[in-house]
Amino acid sequence: MKSIWENYKTDVAYDELMYSEYQSRPVSHQLCRYLDSLKKEDIDKRKTAAELAIMEMGISFTVYSDEGNIDRAWPFDIIPRIIDAREWRIIEKGLKQRLTALNCFISDVYGEQAFIKDGKMPGDIVNSSKNFRKECIGMKPKHTVWANICGTDLVRDKDGIMYVLEDNLRVPSGVSYMLENRVITKRVFPELFQDIDIQPIDDYPTHLHDMLTSIAPHQNGQITCAVLTPGIYNSAYFEHAYLAQQMGAQLVEGNDLVVKDDDCVYMKTIRGLEKVDVIYRRIDDDFLDPEVFRKDSTLGVKGLMRAWKAGNVALANAPGAGVADDKVVYAYVPEMIRYFLNEEPILPNVPTYLCSNPDHLEYVLEHLAELVVKPANESGGYGMLVGPHATAKEVENFREIIQKDPRNYIAQPTLSISTAPTLCKGKLEPRHIDLRPFILQGQDTFVTAGGLTRVALKKGSLVVNSSQGGGSKDTWIINMEDK
Amino acid sequence: MLSRSAERIYWLARYIERTENIARLVNVHMNLLMDLPKGVEMGWRQLILINASEHTFYEKYNVANERNITRFLLADDTYPGSLLSSLTAARENIRTSRDLLPDEAWEQVNEMHLFAKKNLETVANRRHRVIFLNEILKGCQRFTGLLSGYMSHNDPYAFIRLGRNVERADMTSRILDLASLLLSESRSDEVRQYETILWMNVLKALNALLMYRQQKHSRVNGDDVLNFLLQDQNLPRSISCCLSEISECVIKLPNNGEVPKKVSDLQAYVHAINTEETTQAQLRGILDDLQNKLGGLHNEITNKWFLIITED
Repeated sequence: MKSIWENYKTDVAYDELMYSEYQSRPVSHQLCRYLDSLKKEDIDKRKTAAELAIMEMGISFTVYSDEGNIDRAWPFDIIPRIIDAREWRIIEKGLKQRLTALNCFISDVYGEQAFIKDGKMPGDIVNSSKNFRKECIGMKPKHTVWANICGTDLVRDKDGIMYVLEDNLRVPSGVSYMLENRVITKRVFPELFQDIDIQPIDDYPTHLHDMLTSIAPHQNGQITCAVLTPGIYNSAYFEHAYLAQQMGAQLVEGNDLVVKDDDCVYMKTIRGLEKVDVIYRRIDDDFLDPEVFRKDSTLGVKGLMRAWKAGNVALANAPGAGVADDKVVYAYVPEMIRYFLNEEPILPNVPTYLCSNPDHLEYVLEHLAELVVKPANESGGYGMLVGPHATAKEVENFREIIQKDPRNYIAQPTLSISTAPTLCKGKLEPRHIDLRPFILQGQDTFVTAGGLTRVALKKGSLVVNSSQGGGSKDTWIINMEDK
Repeated sequence: MLSRSAERIYWLARYIERTENIARLVNVHMNLLMDLPKGVEMGWRQLILINASEHTFYEKYNVANERNITRFLLADDTYPGSLLSSLTAARENIRTSRDLLPDEAWEQVNEMHLFAKKNLETVANRRHRVIFLNEILKGCQRFTGLLSGYMSHNDPYAFIRLGRNVERADMTSRILDLASLLLSESRSDEVRQYETILWMNVLKALNALLMYRQQKHSRVNGDDVLNFLLQDQNLPRSISCCLSEISECVIKLPNNGEVPKKVSDLQAYVHAINTEETTQAQLRGILDDLQNKLGGLHNEITNKWFLIITED
C-alpha cells in the first residue's frame, strides 16, 4: 500500500511538521506515528466524520454572491498544526509586548503625540490615515487600552523565524473557528488527546468576558455586556452569536439599542429598556454611529459616540483604535516598542518598504516583480499584488496604481511562508499556512494558546483567507519537556 | 431578554410545532385513507382545507391527488405553510437565537433541516414518506425534550412554551373544524358507516387516542371527542390545556398588563362551549370564532413584548 506521505515535498518552504518525506520534526513524532498506524480508509473516514460534524454543528460562514448569500460549510483540514510550547512562550511574550506598545501608541496619537513630536514617525502618516478619528482626541479609555481585542497574523519564513505580518485591531474575526476546530479535532482524533500534552484553548470566552467586565464604566453590581453584530447576513454572524452564547452576553443589533437623553445606552427588552455597560462591537467605526460617522448607516446606534465620550458605556475595541491597523503604521511598531516600553522587539516585523518614502518607492518600482504590494487599509487579502505570481501586465498595472497614491501602499519581500501537511484527495501534501493568535487586553493581558491556523488549500497558493479559498486547521501547543 | 430575541424564540417554537403538526397530520391522513374503501368522498383535498390553502394550491397544481398534495404540504418551498418552509423558518430563527438556547437545540434543528432537504424527493413514495415523517416527528420530539431537560424555566423558555401552545391550540381548532365540516355536510351513508374510524383518526392526529380511551372508557363518538379535545384539562393538545399553559406563561412574564385577563376570558369562553346543545353549524361558527380569538391573542403577545416603542 502506498504511504499517505509519498512524495511529500519539504523543499519549497519550511515545513512545520516534517524535515522530509521520511522524517518528522520532534513536535510531530507522536502524531506521525499515530497517522502511520491508521489505514488509508480510516483517515478518509475521519475526514468524512469531521465534515459531517461541521455540517451538523452548523459551522458556516457566509459568502456574498450575485445569487444571494450562501451559508458555506467551514473548510477544515483534520491534520493539526503543532508548535512546541517552549517556542510558544516566547511568541506569547512578544505578542503581549507588541499589543502593549500599540496601545501606548494609540493613546499617544489621541493624546500628546510625543511619538511624532520626537521625530519617530512623520505626523502626516497619522493625519492621512483613514482610520484616524479626530472625534477621539482627548479620550482616555479605561486602563488606557484602546485595542482590547487583537488578532495578529504570524508567518514563518524559510529561515524558520516567525514574523509578524499584520496586526488586526479593528474587528478581528476567526476566534470561534479556532474554538470549533478544537471541538471537531477532539471528536475525530480523541485518542491523540490522551497521549499528547496539548494545551487547552476553551477558556477564551471566559477571558473575553473578564476583559469586557474589566473595562466597564462602573464596577458595582451586575455588569451588562452585549455583542453588537451587523446582523444575520454578516459573514461573521456565526462568530458573533457563538461568542455571545459562550459568554452569556446579549447578542444585539443596532436596532435593539437606543441612547436616551441621559447619554446612556439601553437595550429594548421584554421588561422595557435596560442599561448596557459594555459593548463588544463587531461593526466598523464607519457604521457605529450615524450621528458622528456615516450618516447612512443603519447598522449602528444613534448617539453611541455621545454615550462613549460621556463615559457611560465602554466600547471594545475603542473607536479610533484602527489608526494602528494600517500597514504603514505597522512599519513603525518596532520603534514604538523601543520608544514606549524601552525594550527590544521580541517578534520581528517583515521588512517593509513605504511607498510614501521616495527612496523606498524607487526601490519598490524597480523590484515590483519580486515584491508583495499591499494597500495600507484593506483586509481579507484584497487589492494586493504578489509580484512573483503576477503577469507582466498586472505588475505594470500596479506600478500606475502605486504612483497615483503612494501613501496607501507598502511593499514587502515575498516570503516563502511555511507549509504543513494537509489532506488532499487521500494524500498528504504541503500547503502554506499562517497563524492568527488572539490577544486580549483590559486590566490584564491574555494570549490564546495557539490561535487560528489558516491554510491555503490550493496548491502553491499563498492566500489563506476563507473568502478566497482558504481553510483552517486545529493548532496545538504541546508540552514536550518530560518527553 | 431582548424583545427581538423573544419574538424569534416565540416563532421558533411555533414553526417547530407547525412542522410536527403537518407531519402528524399527513401521516394520520394517509393511514385513514388506507382504511376507507375506495370511492368514498374523503380524499387528500381535506388536508388543504384544514389550513385554508386551497386557493394557493390550485394556483400551482391542477389535481388534488396524493402526489400533488403531499408535495405541496411537505416539500414545496414556495408555499410558506409547507413542512419544509416551516422547518427552514425554524432553522433561521434558531440560527439567530443561538445565544439563548443550548447548542444541542441548534444542532437538532440543523440536522433535521439537513435531513429534510436531503430526502425531499422521497416523499412521493408512500413507504419512504412514512419513514420521512417518522424521522421528522422524532426530531421535533427530541427538540422539545431537549429544551425541557436543558433549559431553565426562564423568560426564553416561557416564550418557547407560549409559541408552542398558541400554535398547538390553533391546530387543534383547525382539525376540529375540519371534522365538524365532514360530519355536518351531506354525507353518504357510506361515510357515516366509517364515522368511528374518522373520529379515531382525529384523535390520532392530535396524539390523543390512548388518552381518550383511558379517560372516557367509552367507544369513540363525536360528542365525546369534541368535548375531550376542547375542554379536557389534562390532554396536552386540548384547547383548554393549551390555554392553561399560555396562562401560566403570561402570568410569569414581566410587564404583562392586560394579557393574563385576555387569556382567562378566552378560557372562560372555551369552558362555556356546550357541544351537546349546539348544532354542527353552530359549532363551526364557534370554532371559527375561537380561531379568530387565538389570532387576537397572538397580536396581544406581539404588541406587549415584541414591539418596544421608544419615544425620542
